[in-house]
Amino acid sequence: MSEKVAVSLKINGKEVTLLAAPEQNLLRLLRENGYVEVKCGCEEGDCGTCTVLLDGLSVKSCVTPACACEGREVWTAAGVSRQERIGRLLRDNFAKYGASQCGFCTPGMMVTGVNYLMNNGVPDRQAIRAAISGNLCRCTGYKKIIDAIYHTAQELRRETAGEGML
Amino acid sequence: MIKKGTGMACMFYPNGSTGKANPAGAFIKINHDGTAVLNIGATDIGQGSNTCMAQIAAQEMGLKLSQVRVVTGDTELTPYDAGTGACRVTYIAGNAVQKTARKAKRLLLDAAARKMGLIHSGQLVIEEGEIFLRYWPAKRMTIAEAATYSERILGQPIIAVDSYSPATMPLEEESGQGMPFEVSIYATQIAEVEVDTDTGEVKVTKLVAVHDCGKMLNPMLVEGQIEGGVVTGIGYGLYEQIIEDPVEGGIRNPSLATYQIPTSLDVPEDMVIDCVEIPEEKGPYGAKGVSEPTCNPTAPAIINAIYNATGVRIRDLPATREKVLFALRELERKEEG
Ligand code: FES
Ligand code: FES
Repeated sequence: MSEKVAVSLKINGKEVTLLAAPEQNLLRLLRENGYVEVKCGCEEGDCGTCTVLLDGLSVKSCVTPACACEGREVWTAAGVSRQERIGRLLRDNFAKYGASQCGFCTPGMMVTGVNYLMNNGVPDRQAIRAAISGNLCRCTGYKKIIDAIYHTAQELRRETAGEGML
Repeated sequence: MIKKGTGMACMFYPNGSTGKANPAGAFIKINHDGTAVLNIGATDIGQGSNTCMAQIAAQEMGLKLSQVRVVTGDTELTPYDAGTGACRVTYIAGNAVQKTARKAKRLLLDAAARKMGLIHSGQLVIEEGEIFLRYWPAKRMTIAEAATYSERILGQPIIAVDSYSPATMPLEEESGQGMPFEVSIYATQIAEVEVDTDTGEVKVTKLVAVHDCGKMLNPMLVEGQIEGGVVTGIGYGLYEQIIEDPVEGGIRNPSLATYQIPTSLDVPEDMVIDCVEIPEEKGPYGAKGVSEPTCNPTAPAIINAIYNATGVRIRDLPATREKVLFALRELERKEEG
């Protein structure tokens, strides 16, 4: 084992310094330090359940070297789902529309969903399908996940339209 | 060229294993505050059985869903259960829960009758945490009061145990007669596909799945089970195959990049899910089960749709592009003579 190096980064809004081995991926670094909401499915970049936001971009943490995250900002599913307004709304809609069964894909789907909503965020089922196509789900058949993101997009849109009118 | 076709497949599927004992057990205890603990061996693997079992117990004992705490998934604490599979949990574990909840309810009603000075509990109704006299609703008490009275005064804690195993009969070897299953589930699925005759690619554009699962205890969960099953069926029909290495042994595609399951882009946007709710008299509140067979008719329906679109019959799953393309070329050659 090579010697560990200190990596300073911001996780879910908090500054932390963690020790990472040079070959370690971000997924392991996060899980070893208690961020176990980030799930490990394949560790090969195929399934998407380890997805996190890295400086606003959704990345698969299992193929992101931990040391490359020095000075960067990471948001996990637990972090984003507590955030007003997108994260909370999406989390509630996941529950409301039954978008989670075994739940294994859910942390990745939440992060990818939030990423979709914070960027373009149009209530367009085709675009949502394309956005989550890197996240595999074995249980739901995707329909209810798409429903949850779609309805969140619609609600956010309605809110913005309401503000515009004021 | 894109060719379109439609195919259909029907199925029946049993609850539980063939002609064998297949038990599930449950314990229930009602606390002094009127909440209940339901202890079951059946394990929730995401299909939502914890919710369903709590629903059955709550309904039977007149409690709110939030008043039933489910303990499960720990064989040290829970009674035996034959497992989550073969579509058995709602029907078999559900029956065990219902039977157990009925016993607990009986104890509650007996205690309430004693407290109210009745000699028989036949006219008592249990609903929304309260027990009252059917034609004199002002005469009432809470479940919490009845449970406390039963335990503290009558010396009878509200605890109940029961189990359920479907009545089956082993098959007689020579005649093939017997009763392999107590109940069966039925379903029909129809697939609409587009086959690209230049590449062999098959796209499922619409899928209609209609299932008879008896009474739906939780429509959202039922729908989720069917949607998930259909998509697994699409994978089974079109993409998923384990490639063994004939020389070295082992599996050649042991990763999600090489063993492909459907992604959100492979799922038809047009998925119609419906249920024919024919109550099963032996099931809890008329329910049977839904989950496992949801993926069974999908692949045959797709294969029939490919035949309908192109005239080629794929007899070996999955219907990959190569297979469809080779079959199309073969057909062309035959037609040319
Ligand atoms: S664990 Fe990272 S993509 Fe599967
Ligand atoms: S809910 Fe089980 S993998 Fe998506």
